[in-house]
Amino acid sequence: MLATMIVIFREVLEAALIVSIVMAACKGLAGRNFWVSFGISTGLAGACLVAGFASTLAAAAQGMGQELFNAAILLAAVAMLSWHSVWMARHGRELAQQAGSVSAAVVAGTRPLYALAVVIGVAVLREGSETVLFIYGIATSAGADSTGAMLLGAALGVILGIGAGAALYLGLLRIPVQYLFTVTHWMIVFLAAGLASQAAGFLLQADLVPPLGNAIWDTSWLLNETSIVGKVLHTLIGYVARPAGIQLLFYAVTLIVIVAAMRILAPRAANGGKAAAIVAGTFLLCAVPPIFHGDARADFKVRSPIVDYREIEVETNGALTTRRDFGETFAIGAGVLPWWLVELEAETQAAPGERLEYAATTLESTFQFTPQGKYWADLSAFVEYSKAARHGDPDTITFGPLAQMETQEIFHSPMLHSANILFEREAGSASSGRTGFSFAWQSRFRIDPLFEPGIEYYAAIDDLRHAGAFDDQAHRAGPVMAGLYSFAPYGKIKYQIGYLFGLNEATEDGVWRWRIEYEIPF
Amino acid sequence: MQTFFAAAVSVALGLLQGGAPAAVAGDLPSFVLTIKEHQFSPAELTIPANTKVVIVVKNLDATVEEFESTDFHREKVVTGASEVEVYVGPLPAGRYEFFADFHPTARGHLIVK
Repeated sequence: MLATMIVIFREVLEAALIVSIVMAACKGLAGRNFWVSFGISTGLAGACLVAGFASTLAAAAQGMGQELFNAAILLAAVAMLSWHSVWMARHGRELAQQAGSVSAAVVAGTRPLYALAVVIGVAVLREGSETVLFIYGIATSAGADSTGAMLLGAALGVILGIGAGAALYLGLLRIPVQYLFTVTHWMIVFLAAGLASQAAGFLLQADLVPPLGNAIWDTSWLLNETSIVGKVLHTLIGYVARPAGIQLLFYAVTLIVIVAAMRILAPRAANGGKAAAIVAGTFLLCAVPPIFHGDARADFKVRSPIVDYREIEVETNGALTTRRDFGETFAIGAGVLPWWLVELEAETQAAPGERLEYAATTLESTFQFTPQGKYWADLSAFVEYSKAARHGDPDTITFGPLAQMETQEIFHSPMLHSANILFEREAGSASSGRTGFSFAWQSRFRIDPLFEPGIEYYAAIDDLRHAGAFDDQAHRAGPVMAGLYSFAPYGKIKYQIGYLFGLNEATEDGVWRWRIEYEIPF
Repeated sequence: MQTFFAAAVSVALGLLQGGAPAAVAGDLPSFVLTIKEHQFSPAELTIPANTKVVIVVKNLDATVEEFESTDFHREKVVTGASEVEVYVGPLPAGRYEFFADFHPTARGHLIVK
C-alpha cells in the first residue's frame, strides 16, 4: 500500500505543482477559478480517455505514438506558458499596482487565462493518464497484495499530492503582492523550459531529433530524478540527472526565447529583478569576475578554478567600452601549494576623456577543492580583498565559487565550460554596506591550442538590496577567442580577446576585453 | 544574502561529498608513468577510449619535473622523488602528446583506443 501511495503521490504532485503555480500567478484575475476548474476537469476526462486508448496510442505512428503525443502536448504547454509570460511582462506592473481592485480585474481581461487552462489541462492529462492506468491496473489485477489496500494507498497518494500543491499555493500567497507576480512569473519561465526539455526527451525517444551527446552530466549520485525531491526539482526547473544535449538545447532556447520576447515586447518589464535574482542565484552555479560598477571598474574575465602549483604567472586584463571607459589591471601570482594560488593585482581606470588613475590594490586567493578531472566539474573557492586607492571609494571583499567542466561530445568537439559566481561586499570606512552579485560564463571549443573560439556571458547586479528590473542590472554577452603558445621550458603565453555586447539599457553598447598572461614554472 | 551564501556552500559541499564515492581512485583504471633521467617510461601509453583514468606519474629523479599536455589539457608538477595522480579523460580515440615542461626533449604520447 505504501509503495502505491508513493507512486501515485509523485504523479499527482507533478500536476499539483503546476496547477498551484499557475493559480498563484493568476491571483486576482477575473475568471481564474472557472478556467482552472475547467482545465482540471478537462484534463481528468482526457486522462481517462487516454488511459482507455493507451494501447492504441502506443501502437500508432510506428510504435512512437505515445512519445509523439507526450511531446506534442508538452510543447503546446510550453507555447501557452511562454505566451502567458510575455503577456504578464507587459501587463504585470499595472496588475501588481492595482491587484485586488475591480478595475484591475477588468483591465486584465480573460485573454491569457484560457491559455493557462490549457496548461493545467495538459498537466492533469499527462499525470492523470498515468495515474488512471496505474489504478486501473491495480483494480483489475488479481495480485498477492490486497487490492483494497492498494486502492487505499492510491487514494492517499492523490490526497497527499493535492495537499502538497495546496501548501505550495498557500506558501506562494504569503509573498507580498508586488513580488508574487514576479516570483511566479519566473517560476513559470523555468517551468516552461523544463517542459520543453521533457518534450525533447520524448522526441529523442521517438528518434526524431539527435541526442547531441548523451548524459552531458550525470548527477544521479547527487539527486535522483525518481526521488521526491528530484521529481519536485524536475517539475519546477526541469532538473534532469543525465540530460542529453538536445534537452539542454531545448531548455536554453526556451529560456532565451521567452526572455527575449519579454524584452522586445514589454520594454518596461515588471518589477522582477529581486525575484529573478533569487531564482537565478539559487539555480545557477558559476562565477563571474568583477562587477562593472557605475563608477567604471571594468575588468572582465572568467577565472579558472585550476591552481598551477609551482608556477608564477604575470598577467594583464583590460577593457574598453564604446563609451570610452577604460580599465587595465596588472597582476602577479604564484601557485604556492598544489591547491592554493595567491595573486597581487594593481588596478587602473580611466573615465571617458579623463586621465588614467590608479584605482585599487587587490590581494586574491584561489583554493582548489577538487583535483582536476577527477569529478564531473572542477571546483574552487575564490576570495579577494581590494583596497581602494582613491579617497572616498570603498574597499571591497569579493568571494564565491569557480567551476569548470570539460565536455567531449557536444558538437563533436572538446569544449571547456567555465563559470564564476561572485558576491562583492563593501568594507572599511567608506562602505555603504552594498552587496553586489556577478556571474560569468564561458564556453569555448578546444579545436587547437592556439585558437579556441567561444562565447561568454556576464551578468552583474550592483546592489542586491536594489536588484531592480532587468534593465537596472548589467547583462553582456559576446564571442571570445583564447589560446596559448608554449615556449617550454621557458614558460608559455596565454591570451584571450573578446567583444561583449551590452544586452540591456544599463550597459554600454559594447566592450572590448583582452587578457595576456605569461606563466613559467619555478 | 545569507541565503545565497548558504545555498552556494551547501551545493558545493554536496558536489564534493557526492563526488567522492562516485570517483574513488581505486575504482578507475590506473596507469603508471615514470620519469627517470628526464625521460618518460613508457614513452607510449595506451589507455581505453571514453573512459576516465588515473595516470600516476612517478618522478624517480631528484629534481622537480612537470607533466604537461596541450592535447588533453593537463599540467601538473611532480617534485623530486615523489608521485602525483593525474585524472585524464574521458577522451575520444586518438593519439595525444605529452611532454616534460622543464626538459621538453622528454616527450611521450597516449594512444587512446
